[in-house]
Amino acid sequence: MTSAGNSPQPIPDPRAKAALHRLVAAELSLPSRLGYVALLLAASMMTTVIGALWITEPALRPRTQLAFAVMMVIGLAWVVFAIWALTHRRPLLAGHAIVAGRLALTFTSLFLIGAAIAARTAGGVAPYVAAGVGVMMVAAAAGLLWRAHATSTRLLERRAVLEREIGTKGR
Amino acid sequence: MTDHDPLSRAREDEWLVVRCQLGERDAFDALIERWHDPIWRYVRRITGDDQAANDLVQDLWLRVLRGIHRLRDGSKLRAWLFGIARHALMDRWRDKYAAGAVSDVDLTDLPADEVDLGRQEDLEAMEHELARLPVVEREVLTLFYLRELSLAEVSEVLAVPVGTVKSRLFRARQLLRRELESKGGHV
Repeated sequence: MTSAGNSPQPIPDPRAKAALHRLVAAELSLPSRLGYVALLLAASMMTTVIGALWITEPALRPRTQLAFAVMMVIGLAWVVFAIWALTHRRPLLAGHAIVAGRLALTFTSLFLIGAAIAARTAGGVAPYVAAGVGVMMVAAAAGLLWRAHATSTRLLERRAVLEREIGTKGR
Repeated sequence: MTDHDPLSRAREDEWLVVRCQLGERDAFDALIERWHDPIWRYVRRITGDDQAANDLVQDLWLRVLRGIHRLRDGSKLRAWLFGIARHALMDRWRDKYAAGAVSDVDLTDLPADEVDLGRQEDLEAMEHELARLPVVEREVLTLFYLRELSLAEVSEVLAVPVGTVKSRLFRARQLLRRELESKGGHV
């Protein structure tokens, strides 16, 4: 540590503050957060399809099983990474969470529809397993979207109350 | 923004926090405009180094961005921010801080405002001498007098009981008084 308090009134460097504003803009950018949501969705769906094939295909060769196992591990690793990033590095604020929730609901629904069509047309057990997991993913996405709306509503109500109290309306 | 009394200040802080939690970009900018300089001065006072203060404050704002959605009571923003600043400082200086830690005497009923430090010239004189104090005493005086946190808020920031804050303030004031008296000043 250097000697403290050489100046009685230290003055912050305005360039440091300007850099902070840029940092905030980069950190808050919606695409960077939705990128992790997209990664989570893609990795979940890929892992589901591979898992469904792995557990339902009869008499797989050992090296095919090994390949499935490796792909499952990779897929799950991406899922874990995306969840970690969304909880620690780029958490979704209320507005972001609504967009992410809609995105998740749309893509999980498409996945479920695709699995259902495959089950009807192609047959076999794998599409049913994938559709079963798809139902759970749609339910999770719907739950997250509902929670995002509830959080947003609560915050908007609180904001309105505070704006009335401190007279910030229209500022 | 109006900035008259603690209640208005707390409401305005909460208003900014709520808007940040909604994801409003300009609320984060306003938060930085409102709090960057006080926090920077606090960190600068403790570190004694401009560059270290810049680095720590940048780290702090990253922590704020990543943690503000978990802040339940936005009116406690002030204590929360200074608490994060202190964590950032401690992460940086863990060893030094541990070495400088002092045993806390039990002075829980000591009035914290026994010395009048209200006048601006007193505060400025105190700022000059703060640099000579050990980091623990410098920190508690900075938070209480220069950043005007309440005893409860200082307690929250330092993660110690209010009694410990009082005892640290007591010791810090004694040290500061000695410094000022040796220079012919007063506390």
